[in-house]
Amino acid sequence: MKIISKEDFNNFVNSLISDDSWQVIGVKSKRDKFTFAPLESASELRLDYDVTLLPPKKYFFPQRETLFTYDLSGGFSAKGLTAEAKKTVIIGVHPYDIVALLHMDEIFRETKSDPYYFEKRNASIIIGVSMQKMSKWCFAPFMGCATVEHGYDLMLTDLGNRYAINVGSEKGEELLDMYAKNVTNALARDIQMVGQKKREIMNLSQQKFEFSSPEIIPGMLEKSYGESAFWEKHSETCLACGSCVLVCPTCYCFDVKDNPDLTLESGERIRTWDGCLLEDFAKIASGENFRPTRPTRYRHRYFKKGKYLFDRFGFISCVGCGRCGSNCLPNIANPVDLFNDMYRETRSIGKEVATAAAPYVQIKTGADIDYVPKLGTIVKKAVMTGMETLFEIKLDDGTELGHKPGQFVEVSVFGVGEAPISISSPPTKKGTFEICVRKVGSLTTKLQSLKEGDKVGVRGPFGNGFDANFLKGKDLLFIAGGLGIAPLRSLFNYVLDNRKDYGKVTLLYGCKEPRELLFSEEMIALASRDDVNFKPTVNWCPENEVWTGNIGVITTLIPQVDFDPDKTYAIVVGPPIMYKFVLNDLKGRKLPDDHIIVSLERRMKCGVGKCGHCQINQIYVCKDGPVFNYSKIKGIPEAL
Amino acid sequence: MKPKVAFFDFAGCEGDQLQIANLEEDILALLGQVEVVSFREVMKEHSDNYDIAFVEGSCTRLQDEDRLKQIRKNAKLVVAIGSCATIGGINSLKNYKDLDDVRKTVYGEQARLFDTYAARPIDAVIPVDAYVHGCPMTKEEFLQVVKSLLLGKKPDIPNYPVCVECKKNENICAFERGQYCVGTVTRAGCNSCCVNEGTICWGCRGLVDNPNENSHKEVLIKYGQTVDDAIAKFRLYFGWQEAKR
Repeated sequence: MKIISKEDFNNFVNSLISDDSWQVIGVKSKRDKFTFAPLESASELRLDYDVTLLPPKKYFFPQRETLFTYDLSGGFSAKGLTAEAKKTVIIGVHPYDIVALLHMDEIFRETKSDPYYFEKRNASIIIGVSMQKMSKWCFAPFMGCATVEHGYDLMLTDLGNRYAINVGSEKGEELLDMYAKNVTNALARDIQMVGQKKREIMNLSQQKFEFSSPEIIPGMLEKSYGESAFWEKHSETCLACGSCVLVCPTCYCFDVKDNPDLTLESGERIRTWDGCLLEDFAKIASGENFRPTRPTRYRHRYFKKGKYLFDRFGFISCVGCGRCGSNCLPNIANPVDLFNDMYRETRSIGKEVATAAAPYVQIKTGADIDYVPKLGTIVKKAVMTGMETLFEIKLDDGTELGHKPGQFVEVSVFGVGEAPISISSPPTKKGTFEICVRKVGSLTTKLQSLKEGDKVGVRGPFGNGFDANFLKGKDLLFIAGGLGIAPLRSLFNYVLDNRKDYGKVTLLYGCKEPRELLFSEEMIALASRDDVNFKPTVNWCPENEVWTGNIGVITTLIPQVDFDPDKTYAIVVGPPIMYKFVLNDLKGRKLPDDHIIVSLERRMKCGVGKCGHCQINQIYVCKDGPVFNYSKIKGIPEAL
Repeated sequence: MKPKVAFFDFAGCEGDQLQIANLEEDILALLGQVEVVSFREVMKEHSDNYDIAFVEGSCTRLQDEDRLKQIRKNAKLVVAIGSCATIGGINSLKNYKDLDDVRKTVYGEQARLFDTYAARPIDAVIPVDAYVHGCPMTKEEFLQVVKSLLLGKKPDIPNYPVCVECKKNENICAFERGQYCVGTVTRAGCNSCCVNEGTICWGCRGLVDNPNENSHKEVLIKYGQTVDDAIAKFRLYFGWQEAKR
């Protein structure tokens, strides 16, 4: 531990400010509140603050950030991360915000690392400060986040006329060496005083929990998921304004959109903060909203913090800063009130509340995320129905997409945006890949207006895809409803291309009426094959159309096929409403749950498990799915 | 060929068209993308051959409906600009009063010569393809909507309250400053411009799709307003929307 007088500390800060190679951020006052902002002088620093309006994460994950700029004039060029992040010192970070940054680090590096976050994080120095005041909403001591032993470069504790400095990193030590004068070693009484201050902080919180440890929160949440009256009661006055999540130091959900300039030929793709409490958060282009009510969104927030992230990372992603509670006008966002009430209710109905078992945490980090799409050319466009068009796309760099059946790509039209679209062609098709696009939103409508030779952006492939190897030797029952045939076809055609590797193959395919039938030529060819049992159906047939097959919803076909439940795997893809009925009938035919494979549709915005939009309870559809074994998701309420 | 655009005004202050006239250097870039064939505020020429009609102002008389319907017939796209056109705007204040009294107040003895009916947004009369909210609308959002329409995409108009933008901008909540605000139920997209300047949100962009009005009224009362004050807070801009709900 080191000691520096307050005067020398101010000189240290001022010498950093006068060095242009640093951006110096500190806590300043804003009326009677506080905010992290660029410092012009050390005298602006307010290290005696209680809490800042926004946490310092805004310097690493800004409210609005350019992912890349593009220019379509004279071919296509895109620039992603270019200039190196400016070296930044952030002065006055409270321990709970330091813990929150450590959480953010884990989240942003999981599976694929987010270079936009880390370039800024790595270029920064965190100078923490022990809390001197605590907002009345703060419960950091209870969450174990009122003091920290790591995560900072330097940590200050106010000792009256001087600061004690804990050095947490070499970067921190170097900064002191270069810019600070008269730094001495701490004496025994200084060390004692710092210890005393730390103990005092533990008693500063005005928030009282009725249970002794946050360790019971994940288990308690689990038991309360289905208590809809409880969630409705707490969320009745929710304004869906998102204030609780926007001020949260561990919230990381974002939206991605295009911002073209007035030439319409160039522009930028940006990401902005988003929040799962907002009404349209889980809404997809077709209008389906997967979390449409206030109670379900309200519950999702608590589950995300207290259960889903705990299961994935092993920490409860709440640091007790109290910002959510203090920013909620109807006063329903304070986790202390909610968890106390949940504790009382859980006990009153006689349920046991126990410490959650530590989850098995295995964080893998792969390559960096690349938000800049590759360029692809539409080599063939075939209008299939009034709504759907099949596009064949070739990547301009000559590489193969290299996908598995059931994966998806993020397709861009620059200026309009990006949307997830499943790949319709099997991996056995080389050189190009196909996507079947239904006109539902801006991007898909725009795609329909493109011509052969036009360019699109392509990211991916994403998602897990179907396990075609595992299915070898099995009897396969494909069931597709409407556009569900598009992802299913990538596996179905793969199976046909390797027909001898698989057992009996059946395809049940239903759509509303004959003119909506997709891939009709392929379907006609299927009818004459004797190694495939193909049964199409339509819900109805208008008088002016011809249909010789079955009429009725897809489930009317299931009694018409024979299958051996032990040898058969059903692969089911269709609109959300279809699953319930089809799965029920398959179960009625004694098909085991783990013999049913489904593919789910959600708002997959980033494709890499970060933005939060496609989340179903603890699952990220974009990377844990979109293909799921039914036995693994049948207990997950938001899934089907 | 560049799309032809025309501007029209109904009951309103023309403040939204003024925003366009004030686009400065962006107006040249805009004119690179569209051809303006009618814009009373800045040019004498007029043509009825246009692709996109921008309509400002609310409809406050029956006879204005014919003109709106004709605009709809001529245009491929109709865009409502400014609060009066998008939500009925401040003109809807009169909808709470007896309309004969309103006429007398405004026109005195000549009142019988002037028709009026409840002020309404133009989508109460004709279908509207896009909205540029605000009183006045902002230049930035106008350009954003124009660019979207030219690219064939649905303009990105938020369906969340102004609170989102206040939080991002680190504004101190109006309620915490002892003031009363309707940003909690008002559609964002203005970058919380009024609150950024230290005042409150008056709701000029209209309600979000599913506002929790009861909760908002409770909040107003909790912070010391009477029920009447709370209701009045809703009326400056929400007149038409409130009546419809």
